[in-house]
Amino acid sequence: MEQLILASGECDLTQQTVCAPADVTELFEYRIPVFEILGFPITRTVFLMFLAAAIVAAITFFGLRRKAVVPGRFQAAVEALFGFVRDEVAIGIIGPHGIRYYPYLLAIFLFVLVGNFFEITPFVNFPITSRMALPASLAALTWVIFIAAGIKRQGVRYVADILWPPGVPVFLRPLVGAIEFVSTFLVRPFSLAVRLFANLVAGHVMLTLLLTTGLVSLTTIGEIGALKGAFGIAWWALGLAIFLFEVVVIVLQAYIFTLLSAVYIETSVNPAH
Amino acid sequence: MEVLKGAIALIGYGLAAIGPGVGIGIIAGNAVQAMARQPEAAGMVRTTMFLGIAFTEALALIGFVLFFLA
Repeated sequence: MEQLILASGECDLTQQTVCAPADVTELFEYRIPVFEILGFPITRTVFLMFLAAAIVAAITFFGLRRKAVVPGRFQAAVEALFGFVRDEVAIGIIGPHGIRYYPYLLAIFLFVLVGNFFEITPFVNFPITSRMALPASLAALTWVIFIAAGIKRQGVRYVADILWPPGVPVFLRPLVGAIEFVSTFLVRPFSLAVRLFANLVAGHVMLTLLLTTGLVSLTTIGEIGALKGAFGIAWWALGLAIFLFEVVVIVLQAYIFTLLSAVYIETSVNPAH
Repeated sequence: MEVLKGAIALIGYGLAAIGPGVGIGIIAGNAVQAMARQPEAAGMVRTTMFLGIAFTEALALIGFVLFFLA
């Protein structure tokens, strides 16, 4: 039970039907470290983050180690995944020279995918992307890359075209420029981070609430009576249904994060179309 | 006062979910129409549909986060 983020220990089913979370603000806060390495405190989030990075490295290394002409099952799966990111996202969205951004997009896709999959991994049950620091850092990375790509490709004109957009009536240019500036440099990274974060938090909170309530109801059925105990089965069943739905959300959100990163880079490198 | 604040946050999230709900319905419905009319363009339509849904969904998700922050 300690694996789950919410304080289910305080759940009193004689009073309430659903185990409501005691304090959700911990989603944004620093937590107690699990252990220390050389004086650096390691929380569960940081530990899982390094584990996710190690898993991504292992998939890449073992999937492409031998480069067999007739690939085995694992190599074929890894090649299909990598090929999807390269052909559909990098080249499909950005264009022929999108191959230059393929390593970044692939890395971010695999890392977010593995990080999201911790949500439904038994005994972990905690998506690292549901701590705001992680999606915010990834979004900041994308932000730096698409601005750098724009400046490298178009020079000062990249920023100038956003602040003083050509093809717009002169008296509207300050207004459109201001809106474009806010939407490009502020709203883009913010919505990119919040989208991933909120989807994973929503799924995590739903799963935790339903499965915890179901489990607590079923284990305390003697105290709370058969009627409330029967609710436990319903909560548990709903939790399992959402568990399956979360598999779709996990893959889709990793894909969307990568796709939007590619779209933002595309708007920087291919101006005015 | 705390209870009232929580209730208002809930209503706020409900209001924030209306627009994106309608918007995602329109996007998905039109994508299904497009795919039915031109099955050979289904791949492109699907990618664009996910993009549109992602942009529309952001509003509801910001409401969801503000619900926790409120």
